[in-house]
Amino acid sequence: MTRNCIAAMALLAALSIAASAGSISGKVSGVTGESVVYVDTIAGKTFPAPSEHPVMDQKGLLFQPHIMVVQVGTTVDFLNSDKVAHNVFWPSLMQGGKKLPGKNLGTWPTGEKRPFKFEQAGVAALLCNVHPEMAGYIVVVPTPYFAKTDKSGDFKIENVPDGQYTVVGWHEGAKNSSKAVTVAGDTKADITVSK
Amino acid sequence: MRTWNLAPWFLIVALAVMSTPYGHAIPAFSRQYGTSCTTCHIDFPKLNDFGKAFKDAGFKFPKNDEDFIKVPPVMLGAPAQKEMFPHVIWPGTIPGIPQVGLRFNQFFQYTGRSANNYYNSGSLAGSTPGSVLPPGVPRTDFEPGFFSIFMAGNFGSDIAFWVDDDLSVSGENANGSLGDGYLRFVNIGRLIKLPTDALTLRVGQFELDLPFTQARSINISPYDIYTEANIGVPNPANGSPGVNNISSLQDAGHGVELSGGHLYQGYHYSLAIVDQNTSGNSAAAPNVPSPTGGSAGGVGFFSDSNFKDLYANVSYRFNLEKDETSRKDIQAAGPTGPRDHTYLSVGAFSFYGKSAQRFSGYLSDGETQAALTAHEPFYRVGGDFSFNYRTFNLFGLYMYGHDQDLLLNSGFTGFTPGPQAKFNGGFMEADYLVLPWVMGIMRWDRVQSSADFLNGSGSSNYYSPVGTTRDRITPGVQFLIHANIKTSFEYQFRPQQALTYDSNGNAVNPFRTNTATAALEFVY
Repeated sequence: MTRNCIAAMALLAALSIAASAGSISGKVSGVTGESVVYVDTIAGKTFPAPSEHPVMDQKGLLFQPHIMVVQVGTTVDFLNSDKVAHNVFWPSLMQGGKKLPGKNLGTWPTGEKRPFKFEQAGVAALLCNVHPEMAGYIVVVPTPYFAKTDKSGDFKIENVPDGQYTVVGWHEGAKNSSKAVTVAGDTKADITVSK
Repeated sequence: MRTWNLAPWFLIVALAVMSTPYGHAIPAFSRQYGTSCTTCHIDFPKLNDFGKAFKDAGFKFPKNDEDFIKVPPVMLGAPAQKEMFPHVIWPGTIPGIPQVGLRFNQFFQYTGRSANNYYNSGSLAGSTPGSVLPPGVPRTDFEPGFFSIFMAGNFGSDIAFWVDDDLSVSGENANGSLGDGYLRFVNIGRLIKLPTDALTLRVGQFELDLPFTQARSINISPYDIYTEANIGVPNPANGSPGVNNISSLQDAGHGVELSGGHLYQGYHYSLAIVDQNTSGNSAAAPNVPSPTGGSAGGVGFFSDSNFKDLYANVSYRFNLEKDETSRKDIQAAGPTGPRDHTYLSVGAFSFYGKSAQRFSGYLSDGETQAALTAHEPFYRVGGDFSFNYRTFNLFGLYMYGHDQDLLLNSGFTGFTPGPQAKFNGGFMEADYLVLPWVMGIMRWDRVQSSADFLNGSGSSNYYSPVGTTRDRITPGVQFLIHANIKTSFEYQFRPQQALTYDSNGNAVNPFRTNTATAALEFVY
């Protein structure tokens, strides 16, 4: 009897959460190509760091993917899949208009990974000091609510609890654009970004 | 006669400006691989260790080349066709885009005031000994340089190609000429089970495998020792030069070259068999003159191509990293990224040839006129070193040149050994990449030539005081505006020179040919 009661309460709780979680979808305009949209810091809320390690690869003299979005606290594995030596560094971690110190991860053999944990939000412009044409971006965001747009600018952030948020749009080489959004179920929010 | 006396000055200007080496970076590779010039070059066209490996591999990435090509090659036969050989043509490829690069450069030159303080020995009509010639060489000069096209790549099966040509020189379309043009069959030693890269064949016209390239040097002015021809040593019988070997080490060779090893580590060798250098000479009738010279046509010279010259170069490079993996890799693993190795390389080279010179003479009967040809053996031999630490590179080369002089005998029926013509010299250069876009250069060139010395006592020792022929210190700095645009500056300090000294041993009308040169070039 007790067990059944607990199960019923858990089900109710889950249904209640599902009922209050929505999404933010829309389009980033003003620029072409992939952008990043995320929910900015929520006062009084913290989120556990994800356990999975996304991989930023160096392959064919390219950073792949070109843009990666991760939550603060995520450890990214940097992989060199090329048969040439590479290096990974970022001159700074851009936090809005503020420059935080960058990092040079050095170099490592083909096929090996070098992990790095991003403890602060910001944008790391990845560079390789051997191949100056190579560039990639890791956008470190403060919440788990983020999405990368497709090439036409469309995005959808899933599982966003209802509430009031500041949504930020980021695009390579453009100024961040933020917008207040009230989420109530599936919510539309278009964002305009300009260079 | 005036023209003759001014010729040395024009020659100096030509050496400083027009003999500027071809600086071939290869933007075609940038396009093909989608990568910057700096992947292969430090201050183009100087190669970094990766660029040396790329060149060794036949203008390919040394490993997994296909992973890096952004423009797929066009197949000239499916790879599976290889199974059908010899009933099909062995399949190859051509680059997916024409592998064309273009380059243009221009110069500004300033020559010191005393450069025109050239002592007139009185040989000019209407002049008197001791007078000073009016300025013969402009002290400042804007000069368009080379507009060059170059193509290079790989046809598959490890067959590499290179062709470069100067479409115009100094604004004159007719002045251009082929630089290098060759096919390179990389690692053909595999066909006979030799170790990897032990044997490569190159066929065509190419710069000899010099320890330090002249054609693809970063310097504005060439290395003096590479440009040294051995001309001089008067024939005591008639006063005319008996050695007139115009070939110099910087000349392109026509022939074949076997090579092996690597430029970025370990051993490297090359052995070339090339035609004699015939540039600047002709076998036309005026070059078969009277042995007494003068109005009969003077003494003429040319080289024939029947004898093949030999050039050999061998070197060993010690990479000095403690970590074995890093030491053996193409680039060293530095704490903040790959970089060139710390290394010491040592090498030796030699060139053996025969310089052909024709004279009018007689057959052994002493009566029947005939053209007599002297094949004068000559050799060049030298050694070199290069030390690199991070972005500092110190390198140098020493060379000794020796020509056997064959003089007409008293009956003009044959030849007898005359005085040998010798020279020696070399250069030492320090390159320091201060920043990835700033290169500082300090260089010392020196050539001592017995031939120039003897000529110098006559009328044309224009290089330096008697006894020391060519000696200069050349600091320079270069800035990369972009990876493909460069501006360069150098200043050539030369010793004071004079053609005549007074009774107290003081130079009369001394002069210097100090020269400042600026260059601006771009490749695309």
